[in-house]
Amino acid sequence: MMEHLRGLGRRSCDVLEALGRSGLFLGQSMLGIPSREGWSLWLSQMHFVGVLSLAIVLVSGLFIGMVLALQGYTILVDFGAEQALGQMVALSLLRELSPVVAALLFAGRAGSALTAEIGLMKATEQLTSMEMIGVDPLRRVVAPRLWAGFVALPLLTVGFSVVGIYGGYLVGVEWLGVFEGSYWSNMQASVGFIEDIGNGLVKSLVFALVVTWIAVFQGYDLVPTSEGISRATTRTVVYSSLAVLGLDFVLTALMFGGFS
Amino acid sequence: MFDNFSTGVAMIGSPFVRVEGLHFSRGEKDIFRGVDLQVPLGRITAIMGPSGTGKTTLLKLIGGQLVPDAGRVVIDDQDVHALSRRTLFRLRRRMGMLFQSGALFSDLSVFENVAFPLRVHTDLPETMIRDLALMKLQAVGLRGARGLMPAELSGGMARRVALARAIALDPELVLYDEPFVGQDPISKGVLVQLIKRLNEALGLTSIVVSHDIQETLSIADYVYVIADGQVMAHGTPDSLDSHEDPRVSQFIHGEPDGPVPFHYPAGDFFDDILSLEARP
Repeated sequence: MMEHLRGLGRRSCDVLEALGRSGLFLGQSMLGIPSREGWSLWLSQMHFVGVLSLAIVLVSGLFIGMVLALQGYTILVDFGAEQALGQMVALSLLRELSPVVAALLFAGRAGSALTAEIGLMKATEQLTSMEMIGVDPLRRVVAPRLWAGFVALPLLTVGFSVVGIYGGYLVGVEWLGVFEGSYWSNMQASVGFIEDIGNGLVKSLVFALVVTWIAVFQGYDLVPTSEGISRATTRTVVYSSLAVLGLDFVLTALMFGGFS
Repeated sequence: MFDNFSTGVAMIGSPFVRVEGLHFSRGEKDIFRGVDLQVPLGRITAIMGPSGTGKTTLLKLIGGQLVPDAGRVVIDDQDVHALSRRTLFRLRRRMGMLFQSGALFSDLSVFENVAFPLRVHTDLPETMIRDLALMKLQAVGLRGARGLMPAELSGGMARRVALARAIALDPELVLYDEPFVGQDPISKGVLVQLIKRLNEALGLTSIVVSHDIQETLSIADYVYVIADGQVMAHGTPDSLDSHEDPRVSQFIHGEPDGPVPFHYPAGDFFDDILSLEARP
């Protein structure tokens, strides 16, 4: 009994310690003025986490928009409301699916790669040697990746929404024969810039921070062995996915739950 | 610009690094239980001892990467662990470290690896950075390999490139972590000569952590032998060769069994073999 209690206490302390460590890590990485070289490092990371994630995010967006239109049409047509298809596709994507699915894809594609890359740098003592050269790896390695993820994911989310709405158009209008004017005009009339597009972007900024933070911290804090890298990469995807889905509920409740 | 001049007028042979009453533990295990040593300016000091005695840990404590439980490390009159992060990083610019694995940046070429410290710590024009990096590569005999990537280098070449990078900023103190491990005899010979020659030519203070006895004793001016978390013996290489302590003698002469047992502590062998338990 006492042994169990002691184990529980030790684990709780470990969790609290890791949370504190990751908070300090985030603060130290994000604060500080970027140098001219910092911008070029950030740009190359934007290419790595942003541009290289573009294909998977856009293709997924297209298919999700197409599926939404197909499913939505079969339900709406029963009520004679298929003209509202554009509104349904756009609101579903902008409020929920784009931020959440783009963040999940980002965690799988870019987050796991960030963890593995930083972890391998740690395992091969590259981070330590950087420290011994007098260069802070938090500023040089972690900060550009953190900022790149923070900027790239909201942009990817916008791309996801645009392509998804176009996918809905392809299926709804071009294939199923919904009137084109009602597809676009219903969408235009019902989508609010602040409450729908703005809230969706706020969600994606929060997800971007959380997913990239988890990814770089897991890489920086892992046990520097091959098993440690593999576990940390898995943890990145699992923790990021859970955090995104959990936070999505909290943010949706705050934004659309009518509490304000 | 380089910020690598000693603050006071120091004499060759006066202590440059002082380790005082150092205690360090990992979890339940004590690694150091009161280690005291001094590293004189301009000399090569070797820290030796069997594997697993914490020699690399000691280097990390000297470099400020680990924090001791008690005691202190003083480099050029600065307590390493009392410094702010910023001041510590400034002090590290006066040090170079050669890692056991080389620890070259895998996304940069050989030339860029050596130029890296110059680029981040100086505002020198590109032509001068090129000349300085090539001079360092020439010193380790790898000017011709400047365009190769770290993955294309042999273990010995990688360590020589890492050495060129460690001395790129003309440091005052160089820490060598197991420089001879896993090297063929030719590479070992080259590294021995390089460490000795660089130390003399550049007036460095060097700390070599190693368990390669012949190579280390051939270049060291002073040797500390560490075991069981304490300094077991210290002296010049000649004095250690005829040391009376049987543990020191066993280590220096590479005897397989003696006061340091060959076997890890275990129960009776026959009882173990004849036991019917299935568990290992």
